[in-house]
Amino acid sequence: MSTRRQFIVQGIGAFGGALAVDSIFARAARAASQVTRAGASASRCLVVVNLQGGNDGLNTIVPHGDPAYYNVRPTINVGQSDVLAIDSSIGMNPKLASLKALYDRQRVAVLQGVHYPNYVLSHFRGTEIWQTAAPDSYDTTGWAGRYLDKAGLPADNLFKGVAIGPLLPKMLVADKTDVPAIGDLRGFRFNGRADEQAQADRILMGDGESYPFDSPYLQLVQEVERDARAASSKLPHLVAGYKPAVDYPKTPFAQGLNLVSAIINSDLGTKVFYVSIGSFDTHAAQRPRQDALLQQFGDGLKAFYDDLAAHNADDRVLTMTFSEFGRRVEENANRGTDHGTAAPMFVVGGGVKGGVYGDHPSLTDLDYGNLKWHTDFRSVYATVLEGWLDVPASVVLGDSFKSLNFI
Amino acid sequence: MIDQPQDDQFRPRGSVDTSSALLPYRGPWSPRLAAHLLRRAGFGGSPAEIDAAASAGMNAAVDGLLDPRPDPLPASPQGDLTYDPMAPPKQRRDAYLRAASWWLDRMLQTPNPLIERMTYFWHNHFTSGVQGGITPAMMVVQNRLFRANALGNYAYLTHQVARDPAMLLYLNGNQNRSQHPNENFARELMELFSLGVGNYTEQDVRESARAFTGWIVPRDGASANFVPRFHDAGSKTFLGHTGAFAGDDIIDIIMGQPATAQFMARKFLRNFVYDDPEQELVDATAGRFRDAKYDVAALLGTLLRSNVFYSDRAYRSIVKSPVDLVVGALRTIGVTTSTPRVIGAMNGMDQVLMRPPNVAGWPGGAQWLNQGTILARLNFLNQLVSFRAATPDMSTVSTGTSGPLAWIAGVSQTDAAAVAARVLDLTVQSDVTDEQRRSIVGFLTTDGVGNPVELNGENIDEKVRGAMSLAMALPAYQLE
Repeated sequence: MSTRRQFIVQGIGAFGGALAVDSIFARAARAASQVTRAGASASRCLVVVNLQGGNDGLNTIVPHGDPAYYNVRPTINVGQSDVLAIDSSIGMNPKLASLKALYDRQRVAVLQGVHYPNYVLSHFRGTEIWQTAAPDSYDTTGWAGRYLDKAGLPADNLFKGVAIGPLLPKMLVADKTDVPAIGDLRGFRFNGRADEQAQADRILMGDGESYPFDSPYLQLVQEVERDARAASSKLPHLVAGYKPAVDYPKTPFAQGLNLVSAIINSDLGTKVFYVSIGSFDTHAAQRPRQDALLQQFGDGLKAFYDDLAAHNADDRVLTMTFSEFGRRVEENANRGTDHGTAAPMFVVGGGVKGGVYGDHPSLTDLDYGNLKWHTDFRSVYATVLEGWLDVPASVVLGDSFKSLNFI
Repeated sequence: MIDQPQDDQFRPRGSVDTSSALLPYRGPWSPRLAAHLLRRAGFGGSPAEIDAAASAGMNAAVDGLLDPRPDPLPASPQGDLTYDPMAPPKQRRDAYLRAASWWLDRMLQTPNPLIERMTYFWHNHFTSGVQGGITPAMMVVQNRLFRANALGNYAYLTHQVARDPAMLLYLNGNQNRSQHPNENFARELMELFSLGVGNYTEQDVRESARAFTGWIVPRDGASANFVPRFHDAGSKTFLGHTGAFAGDDIIDIIMGQPATAQFMARKFLRNFVYDDPEQELVDATAGRFRDAKYDVAALLGTLLRSNVFYSDRAYRSIVKSPVDLVVGALRTIGVTTSTPRVIGAMNGMDQVLMRPPNVAGWPGGAQWLNQGTILARLNFLNQLVSFRAATPDMSTVSTGTSGPLAWIAGVSQTDAAAVAARVLDLTVQSDVTDEQRRSIVGFLTTDGVGNPVELNGENIDEKVRGAMSLAMALPAYQLE
């Protein structure tokens, strides 16, 4: 079994104990050249958007043709005249006008009724299940992290995956790959005065043999710290050549996508990005909160794809959303909704066959007040892994899942 | 079902001699080993505490940890920490911060570090967390239960946990009624709190869930009530025993299973000795725990005096959790009060006290280490030692009378080698390479562009702070 530790021990040998100042530039260039050599699929990347907090699917893709919807949502429904109709039965929330524009250009797949078996209504556990793709166990790695470990990417690329935000999401936790979590470019740095920084690189150069103690974790700590220092000191220079082609909205979500675009267009060889927006946890006064977030989501995504298109990169970027759960079918007494189950996912961008996939779950045949899902979320992951990222899904998901046809 | 990784990825090199591993250590005693003991059995010692443990000798130092002194600290946080389900976020946040600060302050100030350490151990074993209807007030009730039984009896504590309000809410015990059994608590009790996966069947889960029916948590959440009409009084068959069992009977049966001592022995070894312990060492430790009838003080007494605990294989073999790192660093530099800023910094390191990620708790080990958490760790440590009263954005951390001159007290301020030695001793007990030591001396004797400087009254403050920051960035500082 290949482990992070073994990888690191080998990695130290490869570095020869000295981190040349500009080696990361060389690495990035090498990664980029490999991308070119390997052809179109190798330059593809995936952006995963977490609609954090549990997005209400019924007010996102609105079943406006079903009277039951207006019965269970007497005060927080989206009116029939407001819906951006996809067909006579469903349509988008009007705040998703930007997304609808992409949909109308066949750039959006709407996947309905997606969830996982044996649902739990906990934010933490639900999020963890979506991020580990392991509903039946407490896995220590994320599904995208396992992909990065197993995709045969250049081992010395520091930016195989990038999380936008201060914390590394479980989705990108890997055994062999250290993924940087970047709140914003200015914050992604080590504090300390210049004279401290100059010595800080030096104190990390020792090899295990010269320490007066042995520890199974020593090499790991040293390597992660060295990677973090290298990545944070070099990233601003690596993306300095990028200029956005559009004005991104000033929302944290859109600014995060702006950084994603900077990295994509600087050809650092990054395969998976993570961005989140929220909180969609609308237990009370749902409409204003969710509407504002959906607007930010759609507008951010539209700016992102316009920018990518201007850089001729939109065809190689696939974006997929998820949320830990949808919400209860019936609204509650506070004009909000409680935790529920199935919800739609969006897949946007290059390679997508636009359209609606799967039936809208019934609003009357319920499971304790919750929608019955029909599509296992791992089928969606499997489709993306095999159809977009070109790896066998079972290697990442541990099992085979039916592929869907949205790519 | 949980995959329990049984590989030995992070097992220390070499092998264990099981026949002598748990016997009392009789080798030389040193400040280095005293510091090792205080890191594992507490949150790291101040220099004075390390000196005291070093001169007391190993047995006396361990006796002192196991024999609690009077505790003058507040038994509960100030103010009302309850709120109703629709309380605004600010009220929830304030209540949470008061509860978490109260606990961190206890860790910083306690006369009984092993008790706070074990309180944290139980928190990460019998996991519950602030969420939904589980208020900080309930987590404090649970925290006090853990503290009162920190060194007590594991079986007794398990019985108490089964009727703890936060636990009942966290694992849906309050929804477990005779007509609609909820299996969540019964399953996790066996899977994560006692037997470990593979030592019971789904039928055992269903039957024991029925036995735990009948507990409800009233609105105030101070204690739980047993309501006989919600309880399934019928006959159950559990792990080969049949009877009209209640929850306590189920726990008694669990405590009679050899797998329970095995599961707990592995957990104690991972927390106090090293990760991925050998099966023979687990077997031997489980035997001790069973013989002691699950007395935790007895087991810890054995482990903390053992050959394997003081072996080179155990030394710095565990990754510090954020709470270990943060509390240890504050104690090292002489800060005794936490602030919301400290709690925020821990969040950046992926640990929110009283809010573990899931019922399995914080996995620890390699999971603590990624670029984001390392950045958060080193930036916190840097800010901590760089703090000056005049720096407004650090105004929420109080260093009191502590500061660079206190850290190097007794050392000649113009002797760079001596200052470096003190800083390295204070932070990593001099567990450094020659190159690292030279780097610290080099930092003290040069300016930002490499020109030589001499330490003097004007630059000593700044230079010692910088050297401390560098020393805390050493890989050894992340390990305990």
